[in-house]
Amino acid sequence: KKDLELDQKGVYNTDNYFKTETDVVNGVSGIYNLLEQEDYISHAETTFDVASDDYWRSGDHSEDEAIENLTYDASNAQVNYSWRYKYETVNRSTNVILSIPKIDNMSASVKARSMGEAYFFRAFGYWRLMLIYGDVPIITEDNYANLNFNVPKSTTEEVRKQIESDLLKAIDNLPESYGASDRGRVSKGTALGLLTKLYMYWEKLPEAITTGEKLIANSNYALAPTYQDNFTRANVNSTELLMSVQGLQNVVTNDYTIYYIPRAWGGYGFSQPLQGLANEFEANDPRKAATLLSVGDQIDIGDDANIDTFTADLSSTGFAFRKYAVFYPFNSPEGSGPDHNFAVPLMRSADIYLLVAEAKIRTQGAGAGDVLINQVRRRASAALPPVVNAGMKELIHERRMELAGEGERHQDLMRWDKVKLVDIAAIYNLPVSKAPVDQGKTVTFQRPKHYYYPIPQVEIDKSNGVLKQNSNY
Amino acid sequence: MVTCLQVSAHVYSQQKFSLNLKQAEVSSILTIIQKESDYRFFYNYASIKKLGKVNLQVKDASIDEILAAIIVNKLPYKIADDHVVVFYDPDGQNAQITVKGKVVDKKGETLIGVSVKLQGTNIGATTNATGEFSIKAPDNGVLEISYIGYEKQIVQIGGQTNLTITMVETNANLNEVVVVGYGTTKKVDVTGSIASVKGSDIQNLPVSSVTQALDGRASGVNIVRNDGSPGAASSIRIRGTGTINDANPLVVIDGVPSSNPDALSDVNPNDIASVEILKDASSSAIYGTRAANGVVLVTTKRGTYSQKLTTTINAYTGISNTTKYIDLLTAPDLYTLKRERYTNDNVAIEAPWNDPYYSTQRTDWQKAILKTGKVNNADISIQGGNEASTYYFSSSYYDEKGIIDKAYFKRFSTRINSEHKLKPWIKVGQNLQLTYGESNSFDNYSSQTGLLFSALRFNPAIPAVNDDGTFGTSKAFANQLGDINNPYATIQENDAYSRKYRAIANVFAEIPIYKDLKFRANYGFDGTIGRGYQFNILDVNQARQTTNSQLTQSETETYSNLLDLFLTYDKTIKKSHITFTGGYSAQNFRGSNFSAARIGYDNVTTAQRVLSQGNNLLAATGTADDPTGLQSVFGRAFYDYDGRFLATLTFRADGSSRFAPGHQWGYFPAFSVGWRISNEAFMKDITWISNLKLTGGWGELGNQNVAPFQYISSVVVGNQYGTNGYTFGGAGANGAAITKTANPNITWERAAMTNISLEAGFLKNKLNTSFTYFDKNTNDMLIPAVQVGTAGLLVAPDQNIANMNNHGVEVEINYNGGNELKYSFGGNASFISNKVTKLYGPNAFIGSVVYGRSSQEISRTYEGQPIASFYGWKTNGLYQTQAEIDSDPALANDSRKSGIKPGDVRFQDINGDGLIDGKDRTNLGNPNPKATVGFQTTLAYKGFDLAANFTGTFGVSLYNADRMQGIDPTYSFNLYAETLNRWTGPGTSNTIPRMTLDRTNDNYRTSDLFVESGNYFSLKNLTIGYTIPGTLTKKTTLNSLRFYVTGQNLFMITNYSGYTPELGYTDNSLPRRNVQRGVDVAQYPSVRSFTFGLTVKL
Repeated sequence: KKDLELDQKGVYNTDNYFKTETDVVNGVSGIYNLLEQEDYISHAETTFDVASDDYWRSGDHSEDEAIENLTYDASNAQVNYSWRYKYETVNRSTNVILSIPKIDNMSASVKARSMGEAYFFRAFGYWRLMLIYGDVPIITEDNYANLNFNVPKSTTEEVRKQIESDLLKAIDNLPESYGASDRGRVSKGTALGLLTKLYMYWEKLPEAITTGEKLIANSNYALAPTYQDNFTRANVNSTELLMSVQGLQNVVTNDYTIYYIPRAWGGYGFSQPLQGLANEFEANDPRKAATLLSVGDQIDIGDDANIDTFTADLSSTGFAFRKYAVFYPFNSPEGSGPDHNFAVPLMRSADIYLLVAEAKIRTQGAGAGDVLINQVRRRASAALPPVVNAGMKELIHERRMELAGEGERHQDLMRWDKVKLVDIAAIYNLPVSKAPVDQGKTVTFQRPKHYYYPIPQVEIDKSNGVLKQNSNY
Repeated sequence: MVTCLQVSAHVYSQQKFSLNLKQAEVSSILTIIQKESDYRFFYNYASIKKLGKVNLQVKDASIDEILAAIIVNKLPYKIADDHVVVFYDPDGQNAQITVKGKVVDKKGETLIGVSVKLQGTNIGATTNATGEFSIKAPDNGVLEISYIGYEKQIVQIGGQTNLTITMVETNANLNEVVVVGYGTTKKVDVTGSIASVKGSDIQNLPVSSVTQALDGRASGVNIVRNDGSPGAASSIRIRGTGTINDANPLVVIDGVPSSNPDALSDVNPNDIASVEILKDASSSAIYGTRAANGVVLVTTKRGTYSQKLTTTINAYTGISNTTKYIDLLTAPDLYTLKRERYTNDNVAIEAPWNDPYYSTQRTDWQKAILKTGKVNNADISIQGGNEASTYYFSSSYYDEKGIIDKAYFKRFSTRINSEHKLKPWIKVGQNLQLTYGESNSFDNYSSQTGLLFSALRFNPAIPAVNDDGTFGTSKAFANQLGDINNPYATIQENDAYSRKYRAIANVFAEIPIYKDLKFRANYGFDGTIGRGYQFNILDVNQARQTTNSQLTQSETETYSNLLDLFLTYDKTIKKSHITFTGGYSAQNFRGSNFSAARIGYDNVTTAQRVLSQGNNLLAATGTADDPTGLQSVFGRAFYDYDGRFLATLTFRADGSSRFAPGHQWGYFPAFSVGWRISNEAFMKDITWISNLKLTGGWGELGNQNVAPFQYISSVVVGNQYGTNGYTFGGAGANGAAITKTANPNITWERAAMTNISLEAGFLKNKLNTSFTYFDKNTNDMLIPAVQVGTAGLLVAPDQNIANMNNHGVEVEINYNGGNELKYSFGGNASFISNKVTKLYGPNAFIGSVVYGRSSQEISRTYEGQPIASFYGWKTNGLYQTQAEIDSDPALANDSRKSGIKPGDVRFQDINGDGLIDGKDRTNLGNPNPKATVGFQTTLAYKGFDLAANFTGTFGVSLYNADRMQGIDPTYSFNLYAETLNRWTGPGTSNTIPRMTLDRTNDNYRTSDLFVESGNYFSLKNLTIGYTIPGTLTKKTTLNSLRFYVTGQNLFMITNYSGYTPELGYTDNSLPRRNVQRGVDVAQYPSVRSFTFGLTVKL
């Protein structure tokens, strides 16, 4: 009978892993690993901003078209895939949180950092779930220990409290900054930034100001000297990048590059900017050239010794995002084509500056955000005139210019629409908000239905009645 | 003298005699009995005379009692099986003579290896190479001459010393021997359901694997063609799809159960003597926990004792072509329809649809890649034997080049089988098969990169090769022309192969321990080494770029060791015949793999495409000696009473390492009984029925073909994208994550099966029929625990949750007739119904692989439905007018209503909530055939012979996913030609929607528009041969010479619109391939081939 009790070779399991400091640190790296996955950040998260007036989906994913035109239903593939990846972030984080206390020989600094990272990412998972789906199930540590995942939804309020609680723990545990070899880890600043965002979406404006100012006051999170530095290979050392996907050729594919650059240049040509976004830039704003490729723009894609010109046939809208278009120079010994050795920004200090500015304007009146707005504008270009007595109109303009193509616009517009600062339905039907091929279409933003996406139908089906669909779907 | 004689003789029962004789000669008493019963007596008259006259007065006495009374120990005698009584002459006077003889068949050809036995004794001889034998026997002895395939002859020597015996072929297969697990049995004694296919029926067919040749030849056996690529393995489904898991049967080659089911493609079909398929529980249960999906036993050819050396050479050659092309738009029509989309949508026409370059036809992509294939086969076999040894040696070469360039399969194989009677008390033997296989194929499953998919989608205005020698490309307008690569370029750039080296070997020893008890030991080995090579050349000109040249080389190794020790006891006591087989078996398996890849090749000439020339290491992975093991105890008892009542009892206990300690052992019992009605006395006068047998049985079988170690969780650690790795500080870092949870209670699946069968032979068994009903319930079926999305990516381990039922009937009918013109007809039909009887409950389901860019679900497996049913929306034609849309209650609450236009599909609002969404989806069809039929016929007249095999499948739905995308104008690809008949105004079409880029109504969602009937009837193969008359061949010293032509896939009658209705499984997520079936993703088309060949016997 002993012959049947065989040992599995070359495979770790929960009985022999997560026992040492190295194991747990690897477990934390495993959480970061999810960021790069195609059905998570790279493609899926992008699609949740595709409804915005900043860019058009392009590509051949018909489910993206439904998301863009607000005709999606609960069976939409993106709505479906996205769900599992976010919960996987929650699972991996929870596993680390449960494992660390069981390890004896762990250095205090690595222990605190790892705890902080795990708490941050659990919060990040629920943050994305809450933004997209609203009310979602909270998988508690008990649920996780019992592997019981089929639990009913918690309210958005409860989810926000869960996120807040984890972020506060992350802030306590995470270091302010890292040495070179740990570059790319989330820091105290990352947690402060996400907490600021949470309070803004929670309409807790004073808390947003307090939290955001802690970040702004810390030089570890200073704005980068130039705007473009956030989107080139130079960005890896930028203090402004609070959170990013760290690309590395042949190790971590940087899918943003692939998704955003034109087909003919080796990308998929998704997410093509719209005329309305191009129109919004002020005449002397260098952020336009850093953000967009317009017809006639010059760029070196490294395919030969010549500089290339962006032509109309490369895009259906006449534009492409330049933000993520990083190429190896011609004859580079490192490689050819799209360069994956850079970091895709997922959260920048400038975002937090503008959120705090917004909270100040909305709590203290026009002009209260001028200092912060002007810091952002001055960094973009000294030639940009400073704002004076800026209100929400100026703030909204500034956020759009600064953060175009970074996944904020649709959520910002819905957030402002909820408090009646904008009319999202009207904005989405402007001709400049639509691609040429969609000009004949009417996009109907229904309130409150479209504030949240539906829970995936397949999850409703599998839950045997435990999970209830969002209203209006 | 005789005052009374009363003999009550019942032919098939114990005969009783009532005699009243006074002072009668013993010899005359024997004569009386012989006259009135079927006892026959052989004696030396002088010896019997010595016994003198006796008185005999008995009532209802048996023969034993009578003989005891009249012989009174004065003369030894023996009563043999067939009512023959032999008296030995104690004095030995004039008893022994040497009888010589020759055994021939009806045509006068000598028969070699025929067994000649002196009846009632163990004295025997075998005919030699010239068909002659010599035996010492009493001058009045009786010889029993038997030979497989011929009726047994009884010859009275009667003092003759030179006999010529003519054997008559059995016209029925009742005396045939069939192979069962751990032994053989006579077909008449079988109480279970075993299909037997003779090797001669499947030889020299231009197929790479015997699996394909089995198509249509046995009821209840469905050969599922997954891919027509050369060498591609077909799946075998015995009595339906028995489980959601690996539903392949256990394959046993000469007693060695194979560790992987592709073993059949490594066997040269011409080496096969017979294939037995064990279908029901009673016959399969001897294989216990591996038998739930049936068992395929392959027996290869062997020499026979005292057989003259015979050499057979087979050679054939042929060509193949696709049976079909899909009708696609040519460039001018495509250009028009692409432009019409923008006009209909009232938006400006995008580039390049204003460029007339794209309105010129340049390439028919199907014709650019589908060419003429070739098939060649040559093999030689030598067999024979002397009194002590037998041998079979063969060597073969099979070479198939596909209709797609660079797709090929070749196989070299050598076989040595031998057997030796070392001593009277020990017989040893061995089988050895060595195979080298090499193949290459293209992906024909992917709806992103599949080769045929690409050919059906690539723009016809693009040239295969540009004037400057570069390959045509869609890259410049990939969003409009499709992000697919030029399929011709894909083929040209392909540089890959996979190689396989395999040895299957076993040695056995058989020792008669005591009289009827035999011991047999069998040691088997099955080892495979596989090597893979794939070079991807840098190509940035295609839409899907390869930015750097890359070479991957891999090696896998699997092997298993088998030890069987078992006893066989075979005893006939009066009318009872008992056979017992029982023993112990252990098999272990090991597997390793290694793979390495380097990236960046400065020099890409073929001479430099070796691993060490790559600039950077990309990956190096490997595992070593992954173990699994099985230990078993088994037993089978067979009992036959008087040829009328039959019973088989089988039991096997299996321990499997795949399950956690404490859950490893499973016990699998089975029984079956049979009643040979035709052997009953009351059937004696019904001469037109020659055989009538009713059998029935029940048993339980197991399936352990699930991933091992599921009782342990799994944590994956690595430093790459796919292994949870990440990057910090510009360097790769290890990452770890739990990927799978544990199920400590996991155990095998159980299949309980009932089998009832009626077999009937008519007209001296020229006409044989059988009718079988079976009901198979797979219980404790392993399925993943419901995996809700809140579990993230965590794979749930399988749990013994589900049940599935397959039941049906099988009908077979065979007729053999003719004399000068010999002919046979065989037909079989299987009607099978599959249903998943228990899953997670009413709502949850098991999903399957999704199709295309928008990840469309096509197949779902629900409780209460057949496995892998299609799932989607029902349609009701197209909206013809705006008024129809306005008034459609199905859209009353639908927010998309304003975007829906005439010419869009009218979907049915199944749940009646006034809007069309995911909740309106329902079952759209069953891809599991309700009926499969096979029909074979052979004709032979003088030297001519003909054999044909027809197959058919009925009551099956297919999902034409390729057409779903092929008529969808929102895609960037080429379209099916039928889109010329699109909706352009009220009444123009009710099936092909309008040209538009608008996906508001999602016209091409998964719906019944793309469900088609997959019924077909086809002529799989037809062979016509001619054997040169023996008188001519003899002059050239050849024994025989036959020429033949074979056509494969000659015709198919079907309404299915795709390449072929023979679609297999398309979910490659092993082992759960069964959850999608019958979905057309542009698989390799059916190939028609014509071959010419010859068979020479030296």
